[in-house]
Amino acid sequence: MAGCASAPPDTMPRTPPGQPSPQQGQTQPLPPSQRQAPPQVPADRGGPSPSRQNQSRQPDTPPKEAPPQHAEAVSSPAVMSLMGRADTLAGSGHMDDAAATLERALDLEPRNAFIYQRLAAVRLAQGQAGQAEQLAQKSNSVAGDNPFVEADNWKLIAEARKTAGDAKGASAASSKAVNYERSTAQYSQ
Amino acid sequence: MARQSNKKTAAASGGRPRRSLTRRLLPYLLLIATAGAAVLALYMAHLDHEVRAKFEGTRWKLPAKVYASPLELYAGQDVSEKELITRLQRQGYRRAASVDDAGTYNESGAGLALHTRDFQFWNGAQPDRKLRLGFDANGVSSLKATDGEGDLALIRLDPQLIGSIYPNKGTDRILVKLGEVPPMLPAGLITVEDRHFMSNWGISPRGILRAAIADIKAGAIVQGGSTLTQQLVKNFYLDNQQTLSRKGKEALMAILLDAHYSKEEILEAYLNEVYLGQDGSRAIHGFGLASYFYFQKPVQELQPSEIALLVAMVKGPSYYDPRRHPDRARTRRDLVLNMFHEAGFLKDDAWQAAKASDLGVTGTAARGNTQYPAFIDLVKRQLKGQYKDEDLTEEGLRVFTTLDPTVQAAAEGRIADGLSRVEKQRGIKADTLESAAVVTSIEGGNVLALVGGREQGYAGFNRALEAKRQIGSLMKPVDYLTAMMQPAKFNPITPLDDSPLSVKLATGKTWQPGNYSNRSHGDNVPAYYGLEHSLNIASSRLSLAAGIPNIIDTLGKLGYEGDAPAVPSLALGSVSMSPLEVAQIYNTIATGGYYTPLRAIKDVTTREGEPLNRYPLKLTQTVDAGPAYITTWMMERVARHGTGAGMYSTIDRSKTMAGKTGTTNNLRDAWFAGFGGNRLGVVWVGRDDNKPAKLTGATGALPIWSHIMADINTRGIVDTPPDSIAQVPLQLIFDPNAANQGAGNNPNQWFANGQSCSNAVKVPFIKGFVPQGLLNCDTDIMRVNAQQNQPADNRGRAPRDQDNDQGSWFERIF
Repeated sequence: MAGCASAPPDTMPRTPPGQPSPQQGQTQPLPPSQRQAPPQVPADRGGPSPSRQNQSRQPDTPPKEAPPQHAEAVSSPAVMSLMGRADTLAGSGHMDDAAATLERALDLEPRNAFIYQRLAAVRLAQGQAGQAEQLAQKSNSVAGDNPFVEADNWKLIAEARKTAGDAKGASAASSKAVNYERSTAQYSQ
Repeated sequence: MARQSNKKTAAASGGRPRRSLTRRLLPYLLLIATAGAAVLALYMAHLDHEVRAKFEGTRWKLPAKVYASPLELYAGQDVSEKELITRLQRQGYRRAASVDDAGTYNESGAGLALHTRDFQFWNGAQPDRKLRLGFDANGVSSLKATDGEGDLALIRLDPQLIGSIYPNKGTDRILVKLGEVPPMLPAGLITVEDRHFMSNWGISPRGILRAAIADIKAGAIVQGGSTLTQQLVKNFYLDNQQTLSRKGKEALMAILLDAHYSKEEILEAYLNEVYLGQDGSRAIHGFGLASYFYFQKPVQELQPSEIALLVAMVKGPSYYDPRRHPDRARTRRDLVLNMFHEAGFLKDDAWQAAKASDLGVTGTAARGNTQYPAFIDLVKRQLKGQYKDEDLTEEGLRVFTTLDPTVQAAAEGRIADGLSRVEKQRGIKADTLESAAVVTSIEGGNVLALVGGREQGYAGFNRALEAKRQIGSLMKPVDYLTAMMQPAKFNPITPLDDSPLSVKLATGKTWQPGNYSNRSHGDNVPAYYGLEHSLNIASSRLSLAAGIPNIIDTLGKLGYEGDAPAVPSLALGSVSMSPLEVAQIYNTIATGGYYTPLRAIKDVTTREGEPLNRYPLKLTQTVDAGPAYITTWMMERVARHGTGAGMYSTIDRSKTMAGKTGTTNNLRDAWFAGFGGNRLGVVWVGRDDNKPAKLTGATGALPIWSHIMADINTRGIVDTPPDSIAQVPLQLIFDPNAANQGAGNNPNQWFANGQSCSNAVKVPFIKGFVPQGLLNCDTDIMRVNAQQNQPADNRGRAPRDQDNDQGSWFERIF
């Protein structure tokens, strides 16, 4: 019975929070803690696997290494540039342009949780509570095990629900946010 | 003097004047002349009005221009240097020693030097830039600006112009200004067509005389002798009839035009009006569009040999069509180059170089609407209802689409090759098979490629949208997804009965699904295996237990808008769908349950670039992440171990892919639908007359699908189990050929090593619904586990954290 395709061996770290582009390792200086990363990808995931950056984390060193808290850690310079542009546009009230710029970033890294999160924030600022919640949920779904991202997403969802007049849902979301925030404590130095 | 004295005499004499005949007729003649002049004047005034109204009013109806999605260049982009150069050439970029001009590149140094074109995007203008790109094994490794205008993290290439939306039998053009075309173009036109253009009055008496002599000699009108102004008038105001009165009217109008407007205005109008070719029912007018039509680049970038060819074609665009009659075209182009040289605006060496160069026109495929008819069709359908026809055909709107020309080229190429190959291999009559394909980006729901048939560039029946065929086993992932939404009843190792089944229908008939292999695989088949090997009977039982109405409900959640028949055979795909509809359904599964409407258009702007309409990303979670994840996991097994395993003879084994084959009754339709991490593809193969194609999904559609996905560097699926998923390592031992209902003669062997089972596979369950008593390293056969499972401590393992399971796992379905 051959091994299962979707179940990586134990040496594999879990899901990458956001999916960095394949060439991440070459194009962006990694934080020192990630520099000693093995240069080779595990054999069964060779080739231009999009999870390379993540694989560079050492899963066997307890305590668990903190998942990325900021977009910089998982996003290519190209995506960072677009997110910066989107921030500027949003800051000056050009919400549609900001959203379009974030969509452009998503075309580059379609599973980057931070981009979905910012797009959710833009939609919320536009009063599109429904889309804001959906995008924040989508961000959760690609974030993997990242309480930092998930806490922020649940805060966004709480806001969105409040905007939509769903007080009960908002408070449920808020307590989820609190829970995730609490679980980030395990990563505190 | 004499006359004066005469007059005086007459007046002085007071007598009756003696008049000559002429003198007596003079008043009448004058009257007639005056009347004639008046009529002529009136006619001239009428013509004048016509000339001015047309010239100054909305002169040209401008069809909407449709663009492909622009290629983003950035460090980290997985595009090789070779692929990028192919793309640049497709977009008419020119290899040049130095990249001083926009639209040029050079790969001789380290990396690739590139000078991009400026472009008015939907979110503003992007100036042209000079860059240097570095490459490594993964693609673009560095991007540096070399023009001193500041650093860049990324830049878009100008998007490829892929078509226009023009009325049936319409004219198409792209406006250019006189000041922006290469000066050699107007100068060359004047040299070749009308040497005295700058000084004549709109007509050339000499030319007319010459033409008249030729006409008289021939006894018919054979020669134009027209000035550029006359040619413009003819193109602009008149039809192509060559009668004498037409010629007169043309001459008068030319004089009027010349009197009213400057030479520059007339020349610019000519550049935009002149007829330069035919593309099916679309007439190519003006040098702006002709430049794209023949060379796929803006007119500014035309080289002397290209300018000469276009100028040469003015004389007879179909006679000198460089694609159909390259020799004729070349002879005339060289003649024109000689005239350029004699006139002094082409120096010796440039002249020689231009004559030595080939025609340089892009292939018949690389032109406008006929290149991507199926995709343009989809674009039109999506625009319909939002814009009036006139808005689309007259206002010069700009439509920015999701088409990726590289993906499209791969899909077209692989379909053409794949059909020919399979026809040959299987002794099928050549050219009897047809095919259609859709490729999407998964996230974002972008349609990257759409192929409507094997004959590329043929704007006929768009099978990707219109061919609705039974989907067969492509339906099964929807069945299993529906089942996994009921975690109390189903999980990936729920035992299914694959023994013969017959169901009494409401119609009184009996439905008896059979397996493709005509055999049963026992009454204890783990659910995942049923999908992996596309077992019809086991899957039918699962579907009936999950509920056909629930399956229809799932179809709706996945984005299917049609009516599916509420009959048991729906479980096996007795519903007809187009490839695009299938792509929508699978796309929702691939996103993890986020329905994202497939879109072909992202933005529409005015001609000037003002945004009109945006089609933003919209997503809605319609299916829970857990069931979607389990379904994808099972489809990954189809790809690794099941009916889709053939893909890995083409696709890199390290990539996790998911998919499903589909084959319909009597082998009429062969389907494959599947996805990796960032691309989803659907391929259909069959016959237009719906006769048996004699192919299965695995033999007919899968090879084409695999090649497309490999060509476009589809990434593998990144395993992201959602929070609602619990993974249990299990030994998947079920083998229908083994004794003991697939468990083999000695199932105890699997339990010898306790909790160490390196061969185990992490099987996903919905949290809270892991079957009671299931332990790590158990097998996929619940019956076998049950025999081993008492007590758990005896096997040296603690039971997993369990839920109080409602669905007793040993209970078989039916």
